[in-house]
Amino acid sequence: MRLTVNGVTHEIESGPLTPLLDVLREELGVTGTKAGCHQGGCGACTVLVDGEPKRSCLLPAAYAEDAEITTAEGIGTREGLAPIQQAFIHHYAAQCGFCTSGMMLAAQAYIDRGGSDDPEAIQEALGGHVCRCTGYSKIIDAVAAVARGDSFDLTTTAVGKYTTMATGGEA
Amino acid sequence: MKVVGARIPRYDGVAHVTGRTTYVDDVRVPGTLWAKALRSPHHHAGITRLDTSRAESMPGVHAVITWKDVPLLALGHLAALGIPADEPLLARDEVRYKGEPIALVAAESEQLAAAAVDAIEIGFDERPALFDLRQAFDPDAPQIHPWGNWYPFFGTVESSLDAGADAHGVVERPPQHIRMDRRQIRKGDIDWAFANADTIVQGVYRPAAIEHAPLETQVCQVVPEPDGRLTIYSCTQALYFSLGVVAAHLKVPLNRLKLVGGTTGGGFGGKVDTATETMGSLLALKSGRPVKWRWTREEEFLCSSTRAPWHMEIATAVTKDGWILGQKMLTLHDSGAYARFSPYGLTKHSFHHTGAYSIPNLQFDGYVVFTNRVPTTAMRGFGVTSVSFAVETHMSRIADLLGLDPIEIRLKNANRIGDTSPNGVAYMDPSTVSTLQTIAEAIGQELPAEYRTMTNEPRAGDLLPEHLVAQIGSTEGH
Repeated sequence: MRLTVNGVTHEIESGPLTPLLDVLREELGVTGTKAGCHQGGCGACTVLVDGEPKRSCLLPAAYAEDAEITTAEGIGTREGLAPIQQAFIHHYAAQCGFCTSGMMLAAQAYIDRGGSDDPEAIQEALGGHVCRCTGYSKIIDAVAAVARGDSFDLTTTAVGKYTTMATGGEA
Repeated sequence: MKVVGARIPRYDGVAHVTGRTTYVDDVRVPGTLWAKALRSPHHHAGITRLDTSRAESMPGVHAVITWKDVPLLALGHLAALGIPADEPLLARDEVRYKGEPIALVAAESEQLAAAAVDAIEIGFDERPALFDLRQAFDPDAPQIHPWGNWYPFFGTVESSLDAGADAHGVVERPPQHIRMDRRQIRKGDIDWAFANADTIVQGVYRPAAIEHAPLETQVCQVVPEPDGRLTIYSCTQALYFSLGVVAAHLKVPLNRLKLVGGTTGGGFGGKVDTATETMGSLLALKSGRPVKWRWTREEEFLCSSTRAPWHMEIATAVTKDGWILGQKMLTLHDSGAYARFSPYGLTKHSFHHTGAYSIPNLQFDGYVVFTNRVPTTAMRGFGVTSVSFAVETHMSRIADLLGLDPIEIRLKNANRIGDTSPNGVAYMDPSTVSTLQTIAEAIGQELPAEYRTMTNEPRAGDLLPEHLVAQIGSTEGH
């Protein structure tokens, strides 16, 4: 069995019915994909399979053969973060970060199919993704910002009178 | 002022969105064994038999630990305050909650470890279990804890730490010279308050347990180093608690342990108690191999600590124009099967039990009650959130019953500078008045001038009736 993960094709030793999550994390060491419940309930393990969000803990690895698998490590490029990644930073949509990979990939799929900045539509698209830190509002803000085409300059995140050394502004 | 008002990028933001944050479960150590626990299937039972020989002889099983493997079996979370221990790291004679760990296995794979747990032979003698803290407080309730059904060590404990402890550090009977089995507060003249009240308003408030449910379940990775030290990767919120707890159970100096932490996949208080590191360390020492112990989601829900259930009975003496003359309160705090930090939570609760309001005459009794539920622990302001729920609900009921406005009655009784807390500390900077005025503005409620112009400054004039004079404290010297 061969799997293509973030553009790289791997020969896989695990059996075809091994959950894709375990192949990614334990065999390939792609640990950005998180194990939150192993029963399809939390969304933390979500990856994109040919652009579709899938819960990798429930998906037999063989299902993803011949498909393009995208994880958090592969969503941006070496040169720059994808807009959804920038938006999650800018809007503080990641706190502890454990749900972030799955949440972001589901959001990316929503954006890719032309999703709008309507909060209810975003909630529907992210339904079943559990976040215990943010209360979801910042995540919805981030996805809406990408849907609107906002731009994010992460060196000048500061808004208002004062900037910080961390943002490169005046001390 | 570089920070106030600024939007500062998270230092870990880029790592989070690129999947490069290394949580404990992401640490990769070659040769790591998987740990699994044998947990109690009963809420309360005696252990009549425990035989691990079959599990130990299974190929691929490298260590099995029971209570016999723990150098110091019981360690009190409040030992530094002179409180003896009640919770063994691994159950010895008795289990007091469903999910209590009894034995652990380290094996080549998660599946093999689970199979080895199934191969442990164990017998139980089931005993009556209690799940409701009010029932557990009844005098004729079955006794479920060696200390009785509530915690007996408030106030002065004059006996030595190890009084009554056996060779394994388990205390089967309380030390001598116990003075208080409750957190008790008496302020002012409660009889005067109830004799002079127009109405007594009563209520019972019972917030339930809440599971923290972090996305990352409890997990540790322990690596035995060639020099005999242990490297412990921990998801704890309290790294130095864990350092001390592991060292104490193992009876080793702190410099034998290197804890690596700071990256927590959600905690909310549920990762304050040391849940995995000690048992993971014992398995790593016994097997001589790196060990990972990651709880399943089911274990997280069934066996991890929760926010406590509470039972709060309040009787408030009020006048018809909305002054609160006095209040009696009985609080029961469900500790679950063992004490852990609950006495600390109840102490906070007692100091805050009037909420944001000034009540001059008080009678408060609070107990930490044991039940056969999972031990309860910290969760975002534990001890105080329960009071906020009860007090605010009760204040609105008082307003309803007296036909007064719920914000105005709160403003009238709001803590002011110089008012004293239940335990007699003068408030330096209370913000109740300004907070309530902001709330009124936010909901579009126009307050009468006398309430709109109130400040947090010390009481005077109409807002300092005779019954409040005696409780005013001095803020000098703070």
